[in-house]
Amino acid sequence: MSRFGTLPRRLVHLVMIGFGITLVTFFLLRLIPGDPALAILGSSYTHERATAIDLALGLNKPIWTQYALFMGRLFRGNLGYSFFYNQPATTVIAAHLGPTVFLVIYSAVLAAAISLPLGFISGLRRGGIVDQASRVFFTVSFAMPVFWLGIIMLIVFSVHLHAFPISGFGSGFAGHLYYLFLPALTIAVGFSTVLVRSLRAATIAVLQAEFVDTARMKGISMAKVLRRHVFRNAVLAVIAVFGVNLAYLISGTVLVENVFSLPGLGSLLVNSVSYRDYPVVQGVTLLFALLIVLINLLSDVTQAALDPRVGQEIGE
Amino acid sequence: MLRATWPRTPGLRTLSLAAITMAMAAAGCSSGGSGTTPISTAGSSTLVIANAVRVDTLDPEANSVNESIWMDQNLYSRLLQPNPTGTGLVPDLATSWDISTDGLTYTFHLRDAKFSDGSPLTATDVVFSIERSRAYKGGWGFLLTPVKTITAPDPHTVVVTLSTKHAPLLADLAMYAYSVVPKKLVQAQGKAFFQHPVGSGPFYVTSYKPDSEVDLARNPHFYGTRPKISNVHVLIVPDDNSRVLMLQSKKADIIENPPGNLISQINSTPGLHVELFPSTRVDFIQLDEHFGPFKKLAVRQALNYAIDRKTLVKLAYQGNAIPGASFMPYKMQYYNSAITPYPYDPAKAKKLLASAGYPHGFKTFLITVSGDVAGQAEAVVVKSELAKVGITVAIQSYELLTAYAKEDGGHSQMGERYWTNDIIDPDEVATFGADCKGGANAFNSYWCSSLASKLVNQARLELNPAKRQALYSQVQQIVYQQSPFVVTDYSPYRYGVGNWVKGFHVTPLGNYDLSLETLTVGQH
Repeated sequence: MSRFGTLPRRLVHLVMIGFGITLVTFFLLRLIPGDPALAILGSSYTHERATAIDLALGLNKPIWTQYALFMGRLFRGNLGYSFFYNQPATTVIAAHLGPTVFLVIYSAVLAAAISLPLGFISGLRRGGIVDQASRVFFTVSFAMPVFWLGIIMLIVFSVHLHAFPISGFGSGFAGHLYYLFLPALTIAVGFSTVLVRSLRAATIAVLQAEFVDTARMKGISMAKVLRRHVFRNAVLAVIAVFGVNLAYLISGTVLVENVFSLPGLGSLLVNSVSYRDYPVVQGVTLLFALLIVLINLLSDVTQAALDPRVGQEIGE
Repeated sequence: MLRATWPRTPGLRTLSLAAITMAMAAAGCSSGGSGTTPISTAGSSTLVIANAVRVDTLDPEANSVNESIWMDQNLYSRLLQPNPTGTGLVPDLATSWDISTDGLTYTFHLRDAKFSDGSPLTATDVVFSIERSRAYKGGWGFLLTPVKTITAPDPHTVVVTLSTKHAPLLADLAMYAYSVVPKKLVQAQGKAFFQHPVGSGPFYVTSYKPDSEVDLARNPHFYGTRPKISNVHVLIVPDDNSRVLMLQSKKADIIENPPGNLISQINSTPGLHVELFPSTRVDFIQLDEHFGPFKKLAVRQALNYAIDRKTLVKLAYQGNAIPGASFMPYKMQYYNSAITPYPYDPAKAKKLLASAGYPHGFKTFLITVSGDVAGQAEAVVVKSELAKVGITVAIQSYELLTAYAKEDGGHSQMGERYWTNDIIDPDEVATFGADCKGGANAFNSYWCSSLASKLVNQARLELNPAKRQALYSQVQQIVYQQSPFVVTDYSPYRYGVGNWVKGFHVTPLGNYDLSLETLTVGQH
């Protein structure tokens, strides 16, 4: 009916998925051998000292009681206390959210800036120089692991050319743009491969559609046809691809964060798992899950807004 | 050893701003008030250190990450501190101390000292800090079990009384956990204090982002040598290659732990070198006695003879380690230097195996930590060496804590582990490594010698250094002969250093605070 009729239902799904995620992360995490006491004590581990730590962290309680306590706190917006950071987990996660979100959006914008013109031109001029060159370049870059590409960028642009800093986040919006340029470009190059290919394919498909011929026969100029019909239809197809990949980007920034020493959510998650910092891991996992679901929802909604047919299909 | 807080949240931003404001107020007279320091023509007044691991906390009672412990030593003072070679104690807050003839009362005489905010440091702060760390659950309170009372009869005197004699007391009190914090502020602010702490060390924190960077400025009220540098900028750079690139592009003056395979590359870069500092790290392979063959002494000794430590050091540590002999760190008090590494003798190993009933060897597994490059290489060497005497080793790699949990559980057969000292006294390592009732099951080998245990406990009560030396030498000889673990090597701390930095030194405990007081950063 309505173009956004599915929205309430999708939101209910969101809550259910969130609940499922809490179950999975809470119990899976506790199945891994090793506990916070071991992380704190390392080689000076003794049973007595470990017991004292378990007591202080409430880990001596039965696991279902721990889960109930966790859920109770969660409803009050409290993820628990991170023993490793000596801060509430929500504070820790909020502090790491900025760099990752900035990096993901920056990478997405760069990827769009790279792939929209390239993909469109490649589709329009199949086999042309732009098409050939971009296909070769992106096939090669797709095969390069991001951490390697990151190191190469650092060696070229930072060590030799002194054009960009090696690590850090900078301060202020302009500072972030400058400091995060290399990491964002590293991600964008990989991301663009998928986008250029799908935009190219979509453009070719749309060009062959009958309504393009019809429009031309009606005497509309080619430039106008390209702008109003071809580009708009081709981009639509790419939005779904963009949405799905953007969601994965958030959790996939960890390698790049490591190479460029960016304290974002990806590195926070990996570190917290290795320290068994349960509250932080649970919080970040939950956040990732919700973000992925939200971005999927958002890309569906965007598609529906741009293309009435999509809204009718999914909205019944 | 375990690896940013951006001032993204209003709370943190306020805190760091407050810290900077306080810093500027406090350092009004000195030149180094702000985080960025102008570079003078004679060199730089700021030292940039790139560490691999994030700061876990600035609270000395809760520190568990080495890099954080080493950094925190620059912020706080203790009653006494280890000397640069890690073989003795020198005064810190206490200029002198008296020990009663019965060995049960220690009286410390404090100097006039101030915290970085200008307020006086008194005996009350010392008592409060020691009691606080002692009560911390899972912390280092167990070291001070024999302590009966800690009192402050006057602002310049601290008296510690004991229920039994306790030889390691001075070394225990020199430990990072017993750093002195201001009683009033900690009581008033609680945990929030450690976001912008106030101490009496040579530096204080002006900006604190535990995952990305920490700024330290020279403490104008420090009682010791006034440091030549005015600021220290600590960067957290987890990626090994990125740290090396930072050094090569001179964005960092000192980098921690450059990867072993890049040492020669750094050394061949003009203006850079890698410095190796002897540490208290002991790398060993524990042999779990729950596993049948390892119950037999001959088998444990055979393993020691079968592994060529020279090859191991060359292949796993690029030659930058020392073949291991005693289970105690080689750079410490009471080390038994008469003990030499087991010679490489596969023929003898085979004979010993045959005498124990394993002429054709046996199958076992070795637990290693994934991501530990040197440890993985070591495992491959051990596997190939033991194959020559008929022992088939399967290498099992696990993530760090999973590996430790398996090794601690008593189902590990062979497992790679390492030890590092937290205090300069051998009591700690001896208790963990050789005392049946020490709580760690002799480094989880579950080996137990009543004689070794007795000697360890005796040495703890013995105040005469010569007699202690005799006791610890005997303990080390027993462990060496009984071989509950294969001590493979002593590996040093590695730092990549720019030649423009003069005077950087790391003690065997890993501290570098003393060297930051005299170090200079030249033009680069």
